[in-house]
Order: sequence, then structure tokens, then C-alpha cells
Amino acid sequence: MSEPIDCREAKARLQDYLQQELTPDLEKEMRAHIERCRHCFQHYRFEENFFLMLERRVGKETCPDKLRRRIVELLRAEAQRG
Amino acid sequence: MAEPSTAVRSFDQEALPHLDALYRVALRLTGDPSQAEDLVQDTMLKAYRSWRQYRPGSNAKGWLLTILRNTFINDYRRRKLEPIAMDLEAAEPHAIYRAVEVDDPEGTFFSRIVDEKVTEAVDRLPPDFREVLVLSDIEGMPYADIAETVGVPVGTVKSRLFRARRLLQTALYEHAVEMGYIKPREK
Repeated sequence: MSEPIDCREAKARLQDYLQQELTPDLEKEMRAHIERCRHCFQHYRFEENFFLMLERRVGKETCPDKLRRRIVELLRAEAQRG
Repeated sequence: MAEPSTAVRSFDQEALPHLDALYRVALRLTGDPSQAEDLVQDTMLKAYRSWRQYRPGSNAKGWLLTILRNTFINDYRRRKLEPIAMDLEAAEPHAIYRAVEVDDPEGTFFSRIVDEKVTEAVDRLPPDFREVLVLSDIEGMPYADIAETVGVPVGTVKSRLFRARRLLQTALYEHAVEMGYIKPREK
């Protein structure tokens, strides 16, 4: 087993942890660290709120219906042409 | 009416569900709704025409986004008026968290900022940084897939993401201070 991670490393890896980009071992260590370190837990909540805000504000736009219809029609025409 | 062929059906099933993501990324790349529509339409036609090169069941979203990005670079980027990008040096050297950890440790100020301001801040990121941030933090693409789509090593994706997030947090923090959502940090 490797050394448990300290606050410095935990903070550096918070964003990758939230994006689920850590190896399973590191992820487990991070979870354990955040559970026992109040300070890193707060920082974790801060980064989490940042990501949630981005996803909700910028990630909610959808493809307009008329564009969707136009594309489906174009694809049908393209298929007919063969 | 004739039944759609198998090729059309599989394209419909695999590609059409990603229209929302394609449109969102196109909006952030072009910064203009009507250009975004044209870009998505061009992308879908190109994708359909090269559908045979797609391995069924593999990563359709990544494949489509790669086509969209290449089409943007080849046919749209020259026409684009880029907003004046944030200066990379403008980012706080430390995580913004340190500026708010006493008054607002959970970053509730983020939720007070209106949608338009968030979008505007994203659009003012330098293009290379904006691109990876949108793909990762808004569209949820894994770093490895982004590396493939953008054509850079995973390490480059990570360092761009790190700087993009820091720039964005700095810009949003400064806006929140200006609006009085949070107290400025004592220097």
C-alpha cells in the first residue's frame, strides 16, 4: 500500500476526483481523506459547486427543433440519392 | 414511403441522440447561434457521408465532436470574431477557494451569478482553453477522449483544464465581488 495522501495532494487532485479521472486506488484514498479532513471536505464542496454551476448554466441549451427537423430531412434526401 | 435503410437507421440511433451536445459545443466554438446551426448541419452531413468509417458501438459522441471540431477549424474559425480573450496571467496564482474560504467556503456565490455572465466568461477564455473546458466540464467527456478529439497528449488536456478552470473561477469571483455577492478578500 502506498502512503496515504496528504492535504496538499488531496487539494491538487480534487478536480480530477470530481471528474472521475483518478485510478480506483487513488479514488478510494481521496474519498477516505475527504471523509476525515474537514478542511479538504469544504474545498471539495467548493469545487463541486463550481462544476455543478457550470453544468447547469451552460450545459442546459438544447438543439433547436427546427434544426433537428432540417437535419433529419437532409439525411433522408441524402439517403435517397444513395 | 420507403423504409429507411439499415445504414440510415443505425446513423439515426447512434448519431442523432448527440445533437444537443453538438449544438452546445458549436455554440461555444462559434459564439453565434446561426453559425452554430450551420456548423452542426455540416457536421451531420459529413458524418453521414463517412458513416462507414465509424466502428459501430464505439464512441459516437467523440467521433462526431472530432468532425465538428475539424469542420470548425477548416471552415468557420477564420470568419469568427473572437471576443478579447482573458489574459492567461490574469488567473489568481492560488485557487480562488483561498479567497472565499472564510466568508463563503462552499462557493454559494456561484449560484447567484446569472446565466449570461457565466456563458460570457466561458466565451472569453482563450480558444484552446475554452475548447477543453467545454468538452470536459460541460459535456462530461473523459480526458482521454478529449486528447483524441483535440489531437494533443492527455497531459496537455489536464494542464489546459487546470488553467481554464482557474481563469474562469477568477473571472466569476471578480464579478461576484463587483456585484457585491461576496466581500472582497483583505489583501
